[in-house]
Amino acid sequence: MPRSSRVVAGLPPEVEDVFEEFRTCELSTLARDGTPITWPTLPFWRSGEKRFMITTSIALAQKAFNVRRNPRVSLLFSDPTASGLDTPPAVLVQGDAEAPDEIETSVAGFAEELRKVYRWQPASSAYGNNPLTRRFMDWYFMRLSIHVTPRRILWWPGGDFWREPFELDMDYVG
Amino acid sequence: MWAEVTRHLYEFESAVLSGLDEEGYPFSVRCRPYPDTSGTEVLKIWLPPGTPVRPGPASLLCHSHDENLWNLRSFLARGILVKDAGEWSFEPGRFIPGVGIGGLPAVIRFFISSRRRASRYLKERNLARPSIPWEEINAAKRAFSYQQPAKKQELTADRYSPLD
Repeated sequence: MPRSSRVVAGLPPEVEDVFEEFRTCELSTLARDGTPITWPTLPFWRSGEKRFMITTSIALAQKAFNVRRNPRVSLLFSDPTASGLDTPPAVLVQGDAEAPDEIETSVAGFAEELRKVYRWQPASSAYGNNPLTRRFMDWYFMRLSIHVTPRRILWWPGGDFWREPFELDMDYVG
Repeated sequence: MWAEVTRHLYEFESAVLSGLDEEGYPFSVRCRPYPDTSGTEVLKIWLPPGTPVRPGPASLLCHSHDENLWNLRSFLARGILVKDAGEWSFEPGRFIPGVGIGGLPAVIRFFISSRRRASRYLKERNLARPSIPWEEINAAKRAFSYQQPAKKQELTADRYSPLD
């Protein structure tokens, strides 16, 4: 536990804004030797499920392999670039992840996520637009889902890690 | 390896240090590492008092993107986090380039190796290569693509780099 964290009952709007608007977070999974390996990734907060969804191609599946071996992960939201938020907090989510060995190719059921991806990253809509990229990038559309259930959420006002963090009382996350 | 870490480190404003907490969960924090002036191949790191990481295996990630989540750049250094006389340092052991590092040759290698890794994933599970529902995907693009009011983004080889 960090210093004397201040425990808060309920997820404050500024933290949920970070979950909804940050373009990337830093996902850490544990390698076989226990080293935390961190990737920048697109997180999707599913507030109704109270968990995050991250997808990755089967060609870049190391994070899924790590989760299947050890479910302990963290998500750090510390880069507000393009979020439109003014001095947002930095947020750390520690949790337990699942990465089922199920390959998704259909985009059905991912409408909200696609809406975000094409709005946030307009150039990504070019993937698969022509026969060449369809031939050489089909792997990008073979996706695995990783679900992260939070067990601890800490945040630092203004993104200042030298300030005392707040902590969410997890009874309010469900 | 040390030369690559220090050369690219200076291209980023800050880095994300990830270590383990007492319960064995990853714990990440933003920091500004800098090379030890004594000449040893170690990065010094100031961490807030009470940061609950323990010495041991750790990694350092630097990454950036622009306002359109493009021009992605990243690298990771795996190594060891050391605490000595109250001071933290990171000893990099391996440099792992991410997207946007290494120019066009790295992009080509990335696409070739990604295709191979996908094939291996399927082969190890005795799965046929699935067909991609391009019509469905294109319909979603038409439905959800956001029209950029400003300049059109260029899709050049060195920028053709999916996040993950």
